[in-house]
Parts: sequence; C-alpha cells; structure tokens
Amino acid sequence: MAARCSPGICLSVIFAAMIALVAPSQLVVEWRRGDSPQIAELFRRRPTGADLRNLESSLENACRIGQLVRPWMQWARFVIFEDAGDNAVLGRGGWFFYRPAVEYLVEPWSPEGEQAQGNVFDAIVSFRDDLAKRGIRLLVMPAPNKASVYSEMLARRAGGEGGPVNTATRDVLARLRRAGIEILDLFEVYERAKRTAGSPAYYLAQDSHWSPEGMELAAEAAAKRLLELGWVEKGSTKYQTRPAPVQRYGDVLRMIRAPQVERLFEPQRMNCTQVVDVETGRLYADDANSPVLVLGDSFLRIFERDAPGSGGFVAHLARHLGFSVSSVVSDGGASTLVRQQLARRPALVKGKRAVVWEFVERDLRFGTEGWQQVPLPPAD
Amino acid sequence: MMRHRAGCLRSVFFGVLSLSVSCAKKPDTGADLQVTSLGSVEVTAELLEIPGEIRNDPMYDYAHVMQYRVLAVHRGQVGKDVIYVGQYNPAKPRDAAADARAGRIGGNLRQFRAGDVHRMAMEVPIDDHYMGGIINRYFGQTEEPVYWALWTNRAAR
Amino acid sequence: MAFSSHVFLFYFLPVLLALYHALPARRLAARNVLLLIAGYVFYGWICPWLTALLLGMTVANYALSRVIAGGCTRGGRLAATAGAIALDLAVLGLFKYAAFLESNLNSLLRLSGGDALPILRIVFPVGISFYTFKAVSYVVDVYRDRSPPARSLLDFACYVSFFPQLLSGPIQRYGTIDAKGETAPVFADQLAHREHTRSAFSRGVALFMLGFAKKILLADGVARVADAVFAAASPGTMDAWFGALAYSFQLYFDFSAYSEMAIGLGLMFGFECARNFDAPYRAESFGDFWRRWHISLSSWLRDYLYIPLGGSRSGKGRTYLNLMIVFLLCGLWHGAGWTFIVWGAWHGLWLVVERFFGRPALHAFLPAPLRTLATFLLVTIGWVVFRATDLADAGRILAVMFIPQPARGGSALLSAVIYTRGHLILMALCAVLTFQPVQGYDWTRRLGWAGIPVLVVLFALALMTMFAQSFRSFLYFQF
Repeated sequence: MAARCSPGICLSVIFAAMIALVAPSQLVVEWRRGDSPQIAELFRRRPTGADLRNLESSLENACRIGQLVRPWMQWARFVIFEDAGDNAVLGRGGWFFYRPAVEYLVEPWSPEGEQAQGNVFDAIVSFRDDLAKRGIRLLVMPAPNKASVYSEMLARRAGGEGGPVNTATRDVLARLRRAGIEILDLFEVYERAKRTAGSPAYYLAQDSHWSPEGMELAAEAAAKRLLELGWVEKGSTKYQTRPAPVQRYGDVLRMIRAPQVERLFEPQRMNCTQVVDVETGRLYADDANSPVLVLGDSFLRIFERDAPGSGGFVAHLARHLGFSVSSVVSDGGASTLVRQQLARRPALVKGKRAVVWEFVERDLRFGTEGWQQVPLPPAD
Repeated sequence: MMRHRAGCLRSVFFGVLSLSVSCAKKPDTGADLQVTSLGSVEVTAELLEIPGEIRNDPMYDYAHVMQYRVLAVHRGQVGKDVIYVGQYNPAKPRDAAADARAGRIGGNLRQFRAGDVHRMAMEVPIDDHYMGGIINRYFGQTEEPVYWALWTNRAAR
Repeated sequence: MAFSSHVFLFYFLPVLLALYHALPARRLAARNVLLLIAGYVFYGWICPWLTALLLGMTVANYALSRVIAGGCTRGGRLAATAGAIALDLAVLGLFKYAAFLESNLNSLLRLSGGDALPILRIVFPVGISFYTFKAVSYVVDVYRDRSPPARSLLDFACYVSFFPQLLSGPIQRYGTIDAKGETAPVFADQLAHREHTRSAFSRGVALFMLGFAKKILLADGVARVADAVFAAASPGTMDAWFGALAYSFQLYFDFSAYSEMAIGLGLMFGFECARNFDAPYRAESFGDFWRRWHISLSSWLRDYLYIPLGGSRSGKGRTYLNLMIVFLLCGLWHGAGWTFIVWGAWHGLWLVVERFFGRPALHAFLPAPLRTLATFLLVTIGWVVFRATDLADAGRILAVMFIPQPARGGSALLSAVIYTRGHLILMALCAVLTFQPVQGYDWTRRLGWAGIPVLVVLFALALMTMFAQSFRSFLYFQF
C-alpha cells in the first residue's frame, strides 16, 4: 500500500495524465466537429519531410487545449514579465512596436547581401524605366517604420550619441536618389513636423501604421511634390472632409493574440476624416481613368478600405490634388506582389502620367517575395 | 497484478486505436451545398504542387497560387488540364480562413498536401475577385489565368 | 523530432510508453524491437531518407565488428577496425565537413586566381556527430577486447538508434563503462536484462519534467536576449556582455536540459545512463570545467583520442600538443567552421596553461568564488566565438565587450528588446540556478512529497509556455 502512494507513483500518474490527455481530447473535438482526425493524415500516404513539418504545425495550431491556454498564458506573461510575445515589443507609455520592424533597425543589413530574391535597386530602377517607356513618372515613397520616427518611445537612449536609428534606410534612399529615382522622404517630413510644439502623434500607439494625422501629412506632402514636379496639374474637383472618428485596437496589440491583454488597454481613438466630393456629396471613390496611380500596402489600406473608409492616404491625396486617383493595394506585398498585379493587368497603367509607389521601410529587407524584377508588358 | 495492469494498458491502447480508425471517415465526392453553388467554376482537381513554403505571417494574409490537375469539371469551363488556383491563407483550415478582406472562403479541407484531391468552387481571374497579397511563384512562367478558390472540400480521386 | 515538440510530447511519447509497457516485461526482445522501430520513426520524422543513412551505418559497423571479433589475424582485426573508423569518419566528413573544406579550398583558389569549385549542397543529418562517435567507440572497444561484439544486429541497431540519445547524446558506450563517470550498467547488459522499477520510472519522469521546464522556461527565454544581441549591428558594451552571458546560460540550460530529458526517457524504458553535466559553471578551472561539461564527450575524447595519442605519458611537450590536438578536434566536432576551431583552441590553450603552471592556473591565487567567476567569464568569452557566425563577427562582439562604447544606430533600440522585466528576472534566475550546488540529476534520486508540486507546477508552466511561444529547437541539434 505504501508503495502505491509513493511520491514517485503520484508523479508518474500526473505526468501520464498531462501528456496523454491532449491527443484524445483533440480526437474528441475533431469527432464532434465531424472532421476526420488530423493525425490520421500521417497514415494516408508515404510522408515526405515537408508533409511531416506541415502536419506537425497543423497539429500544434489546431490543438484545442493549446488554443484555450495560449491567450491566458500570453496575458500572464504580459502582466508579469511585460512580454508582448513573438511579434510585438512593448515600448514606453503604452506604445507597441512590430518586432520585425524593430529587428530591421537593430540588425545589420545590406541590400547587396540579400540578393536571393532580387535587388531593391535593380527592381526600382527597372520599374521606373518600364514606366518611363510609357511616359509615366515614378515617385517612390517609403513609409517609415514607427520605430524610425518614434525611436524614443521604444528606447530612451535611442537617437542620442549613437546617431539615427535607420542609417541603412538612409543609405538606400541616397543611392536611389543618385540613380535618379524621385523619392519623397517622409522621414524628413515627420522629423520636421515633430519639432513643431504640440504636434500630434503621427503614428498610432498600438498599431504599426501612421495615425490619421500622420497619413494626412504624407498625403499632403505627396500631392505637393507631384504638383511641384509638374507631373500633374491641380484638378478642379472640390473635396471636403468630414469627421469620422474610429475606435479600435491596433494591429500590433492584436498580434499578441490575447483578448485578455487587449482588455488591459482602451481601444485607440482615431480622429479620422472622410473625404467627400462637394459636388456630388458622395464619399471619395477611385477613378480608373485618373492620371495618377497609387501602389502600396497596408499603409494605403488603413482608413481607406478599413473603417471609416474613404479616409486614407488615397482619398486625402486626391483631395490635395483636386482629382480622383486610382490605386492598387497589396497588403504586405508592396515590394514585388503589387507590381506582379500590375503586370497581370497592364490596363491599370493605361493613360497614367504618374505612379506613386508606397512601401513600408522594413520591406527594403523583408519585402514579401523580395524585390524581383517584374517587367511591365509593353504598351499597346 | 503486473499482468492485469499490462492487460488494461493493452485494452486502452487498442481502444484508442480503433476509435481513431473509426473516426477516419472515408473521403467522398466533396460535394456539398456551397461547393456546388458558389462561384462560376466548379472542378475536382488534384493538387500537384505547393511551390515553396506557405507564408504564415501574423501581420498579413496572403493568397498562395498552387498548381492543380483538373480531374472533372462540374460547372463552368476550364481551358486546360493544369490550372493555377489562389488559395487564401492556406496555412489555416478552410473553415477558419475567411475574413472581411477575402470574403466568403470555406470548405472542409484542413490542410493542403500535394497529391490530395479537392473539389473547388472558383472564380476567375483572381484579380477581379480579390485585391490583396497574392504570392504567385509561377509568375512569369505561365500566361494562364489564376483562379480564386472560394470553397475547397476534400474529395476522393 | 525534438523532445520539446508538440508531436513528441502528446503523440509519440504517450503512444510509445503505452505500447512499450503493454508488452509483457519478460518479452524484452519484443520491447527492444519496439524501441528500434521508435528510434527509426523518431529519426525519420526529421527527414525520412535519413533512416537509410542510419541503417547503413549500423549494418556496416555491425558487420565489421563481427569481423573484428571473429578471431582472424591481428592484422585483419586492425584492418577491419581501421575500415570501420574510416567509414564512420568518411560519412561524418562528407555530410559535415565537405562544404567547409570546399569553401576554404575555394578561398585559396580565388586567392591564386583559379576558378572556384561549384558549391556543394549537402543536407546535414541531425545527430550524425553523436551516433558516429557511438559507433566508433563500439568498434574500438571490440577491437581492444574491452567489449564483446553485439549479440545481434538487433541489439546493435537498438543501441545506435536508441531515440533518447540519438540526436544529442549523451554518448553512452555499448559495452564499457566510463570509469570516471557515474556508475551505470553497461548498455549491452541493459539490452539483455533490465529492471523496470517504479522508482526508476518515476525518477525518469522527474528528470524529464525538470529538463523540459529548464528548456522551455529558462533556455528559450534567455535565447531571445542572446539572439537579439548577436544579431545586432552595433551593440553597446553592456549589451554585448548581457548577450554573451545570456548565451552562456542558454547553452547550459538547453543542453543540460536535453541531457536530463534523454536520461529521464531512458529510465522510463528501463535504461540507466550516467550524468552528462555536473554544475559546469561552478568549475574553478578549465580542467575542472571539462570534468563537468558534456561529460560523455570529454570522456570519449579522453579514451579514444587523448590516451591513444599518448596522453600525458610522453613528456610535457607532447602532453601539451596532445591537449591542443584533442581540443582542436573537439571544436571541429562541434561544427565545421573556423569559429569552432578557435573555440577549441581557446580551451586547449587554457588547459595547457593550467598544466604548465599547475592547476588552477593564472587565477589560482583568488578565493574559490572568484576562481569560479573568473573561469566562468573565460568560458563565456569562448562561447562568444562559438556562437558567432564567423571570426569577424566574433572579433566584432569581443571588441565591443572589451572596448567600452555605446550602442550605435538602430542597435540603440536593443535596450527595449533585451532589458525587459521578464529578461532581467530570467537572467537573475539563471545566474542563481547556475551557481547553486544542487543538481537535478541528484535531486531526483531522493524525490519526496515536497518535490512533487514543484515538478508538476514547473512542468505545467512549461507546457503552457510552450503553447504560447514559437518552437525553438535544441542548440546541440546543429552539432
């Protein structure tokens, strides 16, 4: 009897229960959902290494117990350790930063060293040249990482004697300028604007994107540049803005994947403004026949296609230009995917005089599918 | 005592094994209400290739273009035997892939594996139905249109 | 398959334990067959074709060991032994060192204006360094008549593919006992006859739980600090030291955790294995360190390399040379790269210095705690080279550590990533646990009721943490 109640047996039973209950409970979950057991995939066919990796990650992701435990554990880690998880970094004053964007700034990086999927210089220059053959001018507009503009909200010591935090980006931009690429330097725009007393935050505290104020500043600067360059003339359409405040949690905060953590914060309130055509009274809408095409990523999507709608960069650019523009948005794909989309649908560039190409700063290194050269089909 | 314990363990193990086997439903034709009604094209096709790794980014959702061989056309027209289909967020089971940006996406498929057969409801071309990141590793290799998978069910060959 | 992966913990291990213990204890051969199958499934999970390599190595070494033991002439035995060792080293060389040799050759060719050779793309079979050393120790022991040959191919295959030790050791020998290590029965004897006691099983469980907690809660936690610092372009001096210390802790808690889990798993299947770590950072000298760190490797190097080279029996000069040779090769065993060779040289050099001055060497005048600290810091400097991607990278980090400077450019943001509340707590906890005397291997021997909640809470916390963070492989898989 004494042997039966020994600490060792007790421990073994608890251990067995802890490791043996997960798989059967998952089988029950899958059975109740009417699915065949995921683990049965293993026996359906001779597996390859890739199949096994896929199965492993599917088992892990689909594990119901894991799904239940994960947000609570993330919450506990956040509260106790201020650990915002694999994708987010907690800054100062409730600011959150997207971890890959911080890594982009911290780690050494050279465009020449990362040639596996093309070179940023060749891709941009060849795109500019392809457009030029059609008589279209290209304005490149990298959207700064939040940590580049608000480094002090991430680390108190940033921006001190160590110099600017995004030297690699500045080098790339300087080289692009030397190659004759027209660049809209938003780093400079925000740096100047931040120096103004009482300036609003140009980036959202919980989000990786710019705030409505930051977005409007960028749109105004882009319109001003296009007009100054003489690539387009100011249009005659009158637009007005109307307040459309939006309240939601930011994407970086949501990336912690724990509603319990989100509840520790107030949803961020954004003073968005929608753009309205004064004549028709309708909300701004793209015009496929516009002389300006805007390409970009989620920086174009926010406020424009997301709530409140017609209140993002594209709409405000149109407001400052005085005419509607057309746009192609590829979430997380402004380096290569958006140009592939153009190549599939060359009609999108028909009749254009200028293309504004926005991509987020970190994409210089981490751009999805790299910086491939994507030739535009020849003009008709 | 030990023999009895071993006997119990054996029973438990074989019980679990038989439960697993009985739970493994035989794959069917893949037909259901959605796949037979959504989109303009409906096919049963074998997944030939998932080029490269599926990108599972916490920040963004992508459509991945995969290569299929058409085994049967149920609705609409398909130009060639080998087609290219964009599957939205393929790291997720189909019933968990839908979101506001992709619209109505679904099906009973839980995992994409080359060699499997799927019954799909689709639209074509993808750019007319989805505006977002499309990872197309066949870009430049083929001029064929890319289909957009709305509903994907597992099916028997 | 890694011990800390979802599929191992919740599918492979429970099914294997249930199957194994469902087989009658008297049918040991059937249990061995099951372990053999488990070993191949475990290994094949990484890449199915790797099992062919494992099988080929096993059959070849077994066949040659039969020739060695077959009683032919001394020359024939020697030739068979040399053949087996050459085969093992050739396979290891091809998979592990060919690309390294080729890249160095290409550098020389480029210097001399020649054309570079095409780049070799060889998949590194995880665990090859470990099972090759197991095979070599076996054939050498058979040749030396210290161990009888394996009774059957099944026994030998079981030994080579024993899944707890397959990927990262410990390098347990087949038919001999490491005299200076803990006493554990000979593996061959355990294959033929082993007790499956409740106390051994529960100690195995305790060791596994403890190792798992160390890996997930400590090693994976501080790994984030080390990764961030070593990846940074221009960290400051304090950052570099913080990162170097984090890597020292990561390496210890990761590898010792793996060893504890391996030993624990072995116990669950009735196999005993000697300890592989004995509070290595409490060492007061490099000699002491190598008696405590990766004991199965250091004793292997001693018995199969240092002593055959002549050990310390052929004069001082030859002893120093032998030490340097052994540690250069020890470095090379860890990885095909100049950083590993320099790391080996660093350790070899300190061991030579200790021999030259009498141990412990240069810091012998210090009180014991400071001797420990000095040794730890010197070992940490070695780990910087070990961790760096190349020698230039190692030089860069070491320069920052010893020439005070602030973080520059984007690396100024490192502070937000590494000096978080969680990391500071973890680092402090690691420091305390590293230098305290009680070792899990001993603590689990006398497990009382008080230890149960501790282990259960740690294991549960580790499981929950595993669900919440991305998977990190064990560091020694790459070696």
